[in-house]
Amino acid sequence: MRHYEIVFLVHPDQSDQVPGMVERYQSLIERGGGKVHRIEDWGRRQLTFIIAKIHKAHYVMMNIEVDKPTLDELESSFRFNDAVIRHLMIRRKQAETGQSKIYEEELRDQEKERERDRRREEDVASRRRDGSSDEEGGRAENTADDTAVERAE
Amino acid sequence: MSRFRRRRQGEVNIQSEEADYKDLDFLRQFIGETGKIVPARISGASAKFQRKLTNEINRARFLALLPYTDQHK
Repeated sequence: MRHYEIVFLVHPDQSDQVPGMVERYQSLIERGGGKVHRIEDWGRRQLTFIIAKIHKAHYVMMNIEVDKPTLDELESSFRFNDAVIRHLMIRRKQAETGQSKIYEEELRDQEKERERDRRREEDVASRRRDGSSDEEGGRAENTADDTAVERAE
Repeated sequence: MSRFRRRRQGEVNIQSEEADYKDLDFLRQFIGETGKIVPARISGASAKFQRKLTNEINRARFLALLPYTDQHK
């Protein structure tokens, strides 16, 4: 049994299949007597160059401990899955745990996004309370309201 | 001009850090504006570290995390 680090890129249109795929691979590894030490979902990222006419891809990384037959099985399942556009397998000396730099970045971005959403919701809620906006208002009206509220503040 | 003059100060300290293809901000210090890997004679990286660096940068490139060139797209 050896330690490996695997990164694979999934076509953005098949992004919602990622959790299912990860689960499938996980059960495949465990069936072969292997261990999964770390799984990171880096989410959809911009590619620095176009691969197969795609600009974005869903990245997943996992650190595993498997034997050769299981690894080969994993490799072939990547190869024959059209949703996987690229994969990288490298050998590691030991099990890697803890967060990688990219994942930290991704988490930070998610946190920022969540905060933005929260602020937007609070904005909407406060406007509802004021009764200054009608709830069925179009997007154009909403943005107009936004600037109005900002100016009022 | 002596080639040694181009050597940036402080690069030696940077080598104490482990190069990793997932640490993009770190690797970006060692690629030029065109996306090429900066030669060790300019960055001041030791031969051992430069080999490691090349390896990790190429991994990041394969995963489209870093560019091969600025002519992409």
